Amino acid sequence: MIKHYLILFLRNIKKDKSTFLINLLGLSTGLACVLLIYLWVNEELVMDKFHKNHDRIYQVIEHLDFSDGIQTYLETSGPMAEFLAEEMPEVEYATSTIPPEWFGEHLLSVGNNTLKAVGQLVSKDYFKIFSYELIRGDKTEAMTDPNSIVLSRKLANSLFGSIENVIGKLVEFEQNRQFRVSGIFENVPSHSTVQFDFALSTEASKEIPPWTSLQTWNSSGPKVYILVKEGANIPNLTTKIEKVRKNRDENTIRTATLAPFAQLYLHGKYENGKLTGGRIQYVKLFSVIAMIILIIACINFMNLSTARASQRLQEIGVKKAIGAQRNSFIFQFINESVLMAFVALILATVLVWLFLPRFNTIVDKQLTLTLDMPFYITATSIVILTGILAGIYPALYLSKFNALTILREKIRSTSSESWTRKGLVVIQFSLSILFIISVVVVYKQIEFIQNQNMGYEQDQIVKVNIEGTLKDRLQTFISEAKKLPGIENASSTTHTMVGQNWSGTLDWEGKDPKNNTQFQIFGVDYGYIETMGMEIIAGHGFSREFGADSAGIIFNETAIRTMGIEDPIGKTVENGRAKIIGIVKDFHFKSLHDNAEPIFMVLMPEAVKYVMVRIEAGKERDALEALRTFYEDFNPDYPFEFEFLNENFQAQYASEQRVATLSRYFAGLAILISCLGLFGLAAHTARQRTKEIGIRKVLGASVGNVVALLSKDFIRLVLIAIVIATPIAWYAMNRWLQGFAYRIDLQWWILAAAGLVAVVIAMITVSGQSLRAAMADPVKSLRTE
Amino acid sequence: MIRLRNIDKYVDKKFQRTFILKNIDLDISEGEFITIMGPSGAGKSTLLNILGFLDEPSEGEHYFLNEPVHQLSEKKKSQYHRSHIGFVFQAYHLLDELTVYENIEMPLLYRKVKTKERKAMVADMLDRFNMVAKKDLFPSQLSGGQQQVVGVARAIIGGPRLLLADEPTGNLHSEQSQQIMELFKRLNENDGVTIIQVTHSDEMASYSNRIINLRDGTIVRKNPYRLIQ
Repeated sequence: MIKHYLILFLRNIKKDKSTFLINLLGLSTGLACVLLIYLWVNEELVMDKFHKNHDRIYQVIEHLDFSDGIQTYLETSGPMAEFLAEEMPEVEYATSTIPPEWFGEHLLSVGNNTLKAVGQLVSKDYFKIFSYELIRGDKTEAMTDPNSIVLSRKLANSLFGSIENVIGKLVEFEQNRQFRVSGIFENVPSHSTVQFDFALSTEASKEIPPWTSLQTWNSSGPKVYILVKEGANIPNLTTKIEKVRKNRDENTIRTATLAPFAQLYLHGKYENGKLTGGRIQYVKLFSVIAMIILIIACINFMNLSTARASQRLQEIGVKKAIGAQRNSFIFQFINESVLMAFVALILATVLVWLFLPRFNTIVDKQLTLTLDMPFYITATSIVILTGILAGIYPALYLSKFNALTILREKIRSTSSESWTRKGLVVIQFSLSILFIISVVVVYKQIEFIQNQNMGYEQDQIVKVNIEGTLKDRLQTFISEAKKLPGIENASSTTHTMVGQNWSGTLDWEGKDPKNNTQFQIFGVDYGYIETMGMEIIAGHGFSREFGADSAGIIFNETAIRTMGIEDPIGKTVENGRAKIIGIVKDFHFKSLHDNAEPIFMVLMPEAVKYVMVRIEAGKERDALEALRTFYEDFNPDYPFEFEFLNENFQAQYASEQRVATLSRYFAGLAILISCLGLFGLAAHTARQRTKEIGIRKVLGASVGNVVALLSKDFIRLVLIAIVIATPIAWYAMNRWLQGFAYRIDLQWWILAAAGLVAVVIAMITVSGQSLRAAMADPVKSLRTE
Repeated sequence: MIRLRNIDKYVDKKFQRTFILKNIDLDISEGEFITIMGPSGAGKSTLLNILGFLDEPSEGEHYFLNEPVHQLSEKKKSQYHRSHIGFVFQAYHLLDELTVYENIEMPLLYRKVKTKERKAMVADMLDRFNMVAKKDLFPSQLSGGQQQVVGVARAIIGGPRLLLADEPTGNLHSEQSQQIMELFKRLNENDGVTIIQVTHSDEMASYSNRIINLRDGTIVRKNPYRLIQ
């Protein structure tokens, strides 16, 4: 029997190749989308789950209650880890870390072999909590000595050429301190959120400058992780930790609490102290989008199968007369659609294999297509589900005809059937239009952000890290660099323009004691404001010409507004310790999701970390070449590395960019598949109405008349889809835009343009078929009946 | 074998009831070869469809092998279709996508006959109708007469006790028609299959041993006597 079904399946394909191709293309693209998203989601879901005890690892996070709302920090106080390990019986181990994203890249050398590697600082039980398996050394001992360093297999290999007999050897850190290798860990897997190649002990950090200040309770310092004992009561423990924190300081604005570590990757977005989502939103969004594309493809299948039902009706009639029951047809047709989906899966797998590299660049992952058991199981279930989804309606529809009607009468398409088909086309196009509108809005918003006046000259400024000789002879470097051709100005600062900043509170005259507004702190050197091209709206920038500037402070407009100081130039803050010498126009240093924040700048030449070099427009290549030559000569131990601020800035919108790129592809696919379906239906209608067209032409209808006649119905459906999709898109995109403090207005023309695009594409699709039918020789078409 | 009592078939349209069949009483015994005749619209096909369980009468009683058909479930009717009743259609209704062999084999699939047995039965049938050489051809490659032979083969492969034929020779020229009729006659006489056919042609009717004349939905003349050829 199965063989019989198979024969019918294959011979029907042979009979109607175009329908088969449309279904194959549609379903395989749909399935390819689902598979790609499946691979991606899978990778997202296993993030950090490789730690053996991942369900017992918690991170101590803090909610800080500021005047303008609660902010959640993933860091906590320095002494927290030790305190928890000692005082809380539920806690098995606790560790403090200065994570790689803070600690960053450092120079390591063994003999003449010098290279840069990303590291972190961890306290003694780190390797007992996390499953970065030590392949050499002992996890209990590895981090006990402040002079220990633990290397990854990769790094040990690059430094020593081998992992054998490395324990006990010395590694020079930043060319000024020696550490002894106490362990080697297996390379960190890609599905770890923490990526590092070496670890030093936090004990060592007590001597390294910026981390020395992390020993007090009242600051945010390290990231702290705990491993709780099995069966520990987490809500109880959380309450205890919260209480402990409060007991230490009645007036603290900090509330320490616990977050399950392995879930933070997906559920890590806190708003006003409440967990509101995180990457899981993207996971959900893209899963839904992939499903929608598959559904659009399934709709093609349903529509084409029911539209061409007449070709299968005879079979049903005869078989019913022979004694076949309705169930057998439902089984047969679902069987066929599952088979169809399976054929599509084979093509989809090829498509996935072809597009995986491109997809990997977009989502910034290293996904691989492994044809293993879990993949087969997932793929098979997806295929069966797709087959059932696509086949159930045609199966029920076709099998319900009774033999007599089929065999005795000519079946005309019933109105309910054509209504269903029209409804499905409307759904397809509504979804497509929704996609188009989203793509345009996301694109416009990102373009808007990129062209925002940032308040400083992002495009012309290059950032160079201060390391090696630059640390000791910074002023010489800066003044010499300024003389290079194509370089307009240079200065230094403690912060890049994006990412982590220092913040703190400030006293001023007339301040409400309850006000604990956080100011963003910029430590800068002379000439910083001029180099960055920021606009001074009152007073002046830091300059050696004005002697007392070392006690000077510069605010931005928002800060002055927040403090409410009238006529600020010359007034003092911090009980007279700092004098306001200038006001700078608001500039953006965080992503444009956020509003401008109060900022102050102070002279801090001893703490600067980056040189900012401003390059003359049009001379980038020469200037950078000159800078490189000069740098390599000045600082021979370090490779010359630089970064344009605008690149740095773009990185903040990586996830938006990703959404934008992906949705562009998805929208393209959605409309493509919808049009394939429309094409198939149009071809079918044209064929069905061949005789009518012939008669009309003989009676004097022009080609234009006939094309209009055939296209009209389809275009009407697309118009209905526009009416349905537009308000939904309007609402959804407005909600998305709410996430940006600086955003475009949703203009009507975007919606209108999207609708127009859909109509035009549909028109092109349909009119090709209509034109062919209309141009046909009427004599021929009349004879065919 | 078949007993119809007071069979009515009508369609209700708004305020008017149109009768297609009215007050049909009919008894058919096993082994008869019956022709239903009458002008177009007399209700011949409807009567045939009712006899073949494809249509249901609006009123009346219908017994098949002493089973009340008007009370049978769809499932039971399907079972009868598989085992007791075969159809031959005017338009042959062979499946274009299947070869001669596969068309003939199809009813056996629904009767869940084992592969080996199925092969033997189809081979036997092909042999019997001299179609062995044509077994791998598709219907479109056959003449109308040959297609109808396949249609008959398909109808009888399941060994039905009742064969219903709705204008089986309507699309055939006379020589082919005669072949089909000879076939029917042999089936009737040698295999004891009860045959009921609808036809317009007196010549075709002459092969049967009883003629039922329908006019405006009622039987006008029963001819209980065997026709003399």
